[in-house]
Amino acid sequence: MQISNIKIIKALVKKEFYQIIRDPSSILIAFVIPLLLLVIYRFGINLDTVKVTMGIKNDDPAAEIQTLVKSFGHSEYIKSFVYEDKDLMYEDLVRSKLRGMVIIPNNFSVGLSRSQPADLLVITDGSETNLANYAQSYPQFIANQWLASSKYKYDLKPPLITPELRYWYNQDINSHYFIMPGSIAITTTLIGILLTALVIAREWERGTMEALLSTRVKRIHIVTGKYIPYFILGMLSMIFSLFVCIAVFKIPFNGSLAAVLAVGSLFLFTCIGVGLLISTNLKDQFLASQTALAVGFMPALMLSGLMFPINSMPLGFQWFTHIIPTRYFVQFILSEFLAGTVWEIVYVNSVFLLVFGGLLFMTVYKKTGLRLEDKC
Amino acid sequence: MLNRIAALIKKEFLAIWKDPRSRMIIIVPPILQLLIFANALTMEMKNIDMVVLDRSGTVESRELISEFDNSRWFRKIFYAHNEQDVRHYIETQKVQLALEINNDFASGIKRGKPVSVQLIVDGRQTNAAGIIGGYASQVVSAYSSEISPAKGASINFVVRNWFNPNLEYRWYLLCSTIAILALVTTLMLTALSIARERELGTFDQLIVSPLTPFEILAGKTVPPLIISVLLTLFMILMSIIFFKLPFKGSIFWLLISTVIALFSIVGVGLFISSLCKTQQQAILGAFTFQMPAVLLSGFISPVEDMPALVQYLTYANPVKFFMIITKGIIFKGMQPADIISNLIALLLIAFITLSAAGWMFKRKLD
Amino acid sequence: MNTVEIKNLTKIFDDVPAVDNLSLNIKKGEITGLIGADGAGKTTLMRLITGLMIADSGEISTLGLNPAADKAKLNPKIGYMPQKFGLYEDLTVIENLNFYADLKNTAHDFKKMLEFTDLDKFQHRLAGKLSGGMKQKLGLACALLGTPDFLVLDEPSVGVDPISRRELMKLVKEYLNEGMSVLWSTAYLDEAHSFDTAVVLDRGKVIFEGRPFSLGATSKAFEAEIIKLMGGYKKEESLIAKSVTVQDYGLEFTVEACNLVKKYGDFYAVKDNTFCIKKGEIFGLLGPNGAGKSTSFKMMCGLSAPTQGTARIMGTDILAQPSKARSHLGYMAQKFSLYEKLTVGQNLEFFAGVYGLAGKAKEERINGSIQVFGLEEYVDRKSGELPLGYKQRLSLACALIHNPPVLFLDEPTSGVDVLTRMDFWNHITSLAAKGVTILITTHFMDEAEFCDRISLFYRGEAIAVGTPDELKRKAHADTMEETFVNLIRSQSK
Repeated sequence: MQISNIKIIKALVKKEFYQIIRDPSSILIAFVIPLLLLVIYRFGINLDTVKVTMGIKNDDPAAEIQTLVKSFGHSEYIKSFVYEDKDLMYEDLVRSKLRGMVIIPNNFSVGLSRSQPADLLVITDGSETNLANYAQSYPQFIANQWLASSKYKYDLKPPLITPELRYWYNQDINSHYFIMPGSIAITTTLIGILLTALVIAREWERGTMEALLSTRVKRIHIVTGKYIPYFILGMLSMIFSLFVCIAVFKIPFNGSLAAVLAVGSLFLFTCIGVGLLISTNLKDQFLASQTALAVGFMPALMLSGLMFPINSMPLGFQWFTHIIPTRYFVQFILSEFLAGTVWEIVYVNSVFLLVFGGLLFMTVYKKTGLRLEDKC
Repeated sequence: MLNRIAALIKKEFLAIWKDPRSRMIIIVPPILQLLIFANALTMEMKNIDMVVLDRSGTVESRELISEFDNSRWFRKIFYAHNEQDVRHYIETQKVQLALEINNDFASGIKRGKPVSVQLIVDGRQTNAAGIIGGYASQVVSAYSSEISPAKGASINFVVRNWFNPNLEYRWYLLCSTIAILALVTTLMLTALSIARERELGTFDQLIVSPLTPFEILAGKTVPPLIISVLLTLFMILMSIIFFKLPFKGSIFWLLISTVIALFSIVGVGLFISSLCKTQQQAILGAFTFQMPAVLLSGFISPVEDMPALVQYLTYANPVKFFMIITKGIIFKGMQPADIISNLIALLLIAFITLSAAGWMFKRKLD
Repeated sequence: MNTVEIKNLTKIFDDVPAVDNLSLNIKKGEITGLIGADGAGKTTLMRLITGLMIADSGEISTLGLNPAADKAKLNPKIGYMPQKFGLYEDLTVIENLNFYADLKNTAHDFKKMLEFTDLDKFQHRLAGKLSGGMKQKLGLACALLGTPDFLVLDEPSVGVDPISRRELMKLVKEYLNEGMSVLWSTAYLDEAHSFDTAVVLDRGKVIFEGRPFSLGATSKAFEAEIIKLMGGYKKEESLIAKSVTVQDYGLEFTVEACNLVKKYGDFYAVKDNTFCIKKGEIFGLLGPNGAGKSTSFKMMCGLSAPTQGTARIMGTDILAQPSKARSHLGYMAQKFSLYEKLTVGQNLEFFAGVYGLAGKAKEERINGSIQVFGLEEYVDRKSGELPLGYKQRLSLACALIHNPPVLFLDEPTSGVDVLTRMDFWNHITSLAAKGVTILITTHFMDEAEFCDRISLFYRGEAIAVGTPDELKRKAHADTMEETFVNLIRSQSK
């Protein structure tokens, strides 16, 4: 009995693999999309040294102020354009050609030379809220630096308390070190949920489920026969992404591969559960895929804590993130990559994933029918 | 010809709207997601938990700590007894920030001798870490200038944020999310439309009719376009009513731009559909386009900051132009000339993708 | 002991009984045919017997077991082939066999099976790329794995040519010698006549059960009796044909195929095919699965681009002016390919619109069609939910909506019961009499008799063209089926 169980499951798994190999779209989602995303994150997106395009309008004729304009020009943080015509500068801000503007009033140097606070106008494009923060702070930083080395500096004194800022685990707060491991969590979610959401629906649509159910296949066979192949595919994809991250793009990895694979497999187990649950309930590929995107993928992307901080959400939403499996894996994998294995983090996240995955497995098992539904 | 297209359009509408489940799946998720994301997501850091190692234990050090306590960013403050404690709090992510005050803190301040405090930020949540570090430094600097005000020349920065005075992140998020959700819905509606007919065998029936490839395309374009335009406008309206999104521009241009932007996305969707044999391929194909399109739209990081090669690629990204226009019209009251230059790019994308899709119909007849 | 014993079985879907208080015994070691119109309850009955569904009331015992309670014990003893054969189309022949062998816990020794089914040459071909006949054999081979005691085949011969059907029957009969019982549902009455027992179902009830020859000595007589049992067929004037008016274009040949060639790599799917069809003629394309008749058919209506040659419809070249050529053409596809989610009325409206009808003319035409095709009752029903016979009527109604002078029908009667088919052919012959030119493919040899001329395809070539009588004479045969078999056999030698 034991042996024939294994034999049946083996046959089902093998069959599923043939189907995976023959459909280019499963390879696309398991290897091409992860690679594409990693490449985009590595080369296309830059979250650290944002260079803000700013317009400068100088109304102060004093010669010393020219050096301020030059400091803006030389800064590595901003790309500055000097305008003569204020209206043109305003228009360029509306056109999104500029993200911010600095206007030096004509009495700027007068105030400074009298050792009085002198007004400097900084205007940002608030419609690009993220960039506006940079467009606010970079000119302030540059202008203060200029002031400290300018001829007006003599009255300045150093601040009494200096904050010494250090970032642990990621000294230069290089965002690639963070977004790329995070991308692994996202693509694993994608394989686990989107791909598996289609596979049981497909068997019903194509009429092969009926043939399967007429053999001695049991519920447990059907369920494990779906879990195992997508588990293997997902793990292969995860290993591939890890390889690209660590070996090709040289993202520092301080943790243990064994821990990543162990918690990763728990995570995948949970995701496949979500996908199969959708698939067994909907039996229609269009609906299954839409549901998978709406229920599984978008929350994973937006609410897992990778893109947006969970602590800043309203309390109700913070609780809600606890039912998103990706949340746990994101926390774990970031910590594992940057801080190494922290047992407490491994343990807490694993328990959550295990409980979730187990519950989902049981639900999928219960929901998998051994008979055709009452429809002719 | 118009009759034939009209018949096809009517049929497409019926096919999309007939099934209540498919109607639900088109309308409910985007709106629900918009509501959730608008309420939940912010880039501002709130509720930061921190640990303090106060080696000084003086009035001054406690004053500094209470500055943290009183600021709106920090929530819980734990007290550590030693270095090890601090490490443990950070390592297990109980806190995101640690403040260490040395025992010479108070004496230094009293003598007017510059002292330093250590701020340690958990760098694992990298994007949050930078912001937290900034906040913490601000608190310390503010306290510093409070107890010893600077004299002499200084620059008083007068900061104005145009179009969004309080830098409401939600407004930005709403505009971007609407564009993304419109993309996702439009793409799915169109990418599946031809692939599904192929899988079910009804596409042959269309080919055998006197419909030309152009007519088929027209018939396949209009219904998803109308549905997604309505959905998009509804989401914008909802944002204005419920989230007080300011609307500065012209409704006329918003309408025109939405139609043209979604038209170009329909083009991409139909092109993907024309390549695919099965629904599964179409779903995954649409997804393969959509992820990079969102990432390279300027939503996550500004386009002008990307490498030159990638910047060229973004000329093929309808989402990028769509975001520029919606933000421009809604927030800034963008001028028609500027709107039009973006619309031309979108029309070009639509023209190329739709021609390619039409060409693929002919070729796919093997 | 009987293989299956059923007492007062009832199964109800949405208040409509699919199986209605039915009692039946299926004898051991026999082939029992299950005959009935679409929706008569054949598939439901089979699913109840195999335990795939549970009855609402009544008793059922299959191989001495209760299929509802002992499904797990029963399944290994049954070989079941569902409609569409239950094959994984993206697996190869041998992979399908291996898969089902593992599920049924039998050895991977397919040598005999492959030889038997002539599939050994195609072992590594994807099941989805096999012809209908080969799929059917493979489906049967999979069902036969593990030597089941009871073989249940749900419409195994739909869309399969006569030679393949004969071979299939031979295969099953050989296995029968080992004491196996077979339940076989079919719409082909000649096939049913060769079974040991025939069970005729009508609206969930058994209306005949017994030896087919006791009903009629020949298959023709048997057919006549079955028709009587099913309520009889009364030939009426075809309202459909009556409503059609064919314009006179003054052309002698309305459909022409000129040197059509289709090549895939080195393989000729169609080799230099030329024929001309006169106005009002019914021209039949016959041939085994995979002989090239479908490909020819597709090239004729512009679904497939010919490697060489072209086709003309009402004198218009299908390649040069596709839209104009197609506007003369009514087309009915092999499987039901109208929009299943739309209602009958919406489908008609769509096709009327697509063919350029508008306004009042369109409305009149649609209403006329609904009346003529007897679709009044179903106007607001989703077309996917119609009984097969009505689906087929609707397809024909859509194909004829624009009053085309030429009608292309690709296996229009696959899987359709005998009464519906007779009715259908009444319309077709009447349409031809009114001057509509008809190109048709079919696997029913009795239908071939209705054609004015036939082109018999084999291996990409038309091996014989002529009237049914000419072909019979040529093949020295009495029936079309024999003609078909003889001509193909003489050619393959």
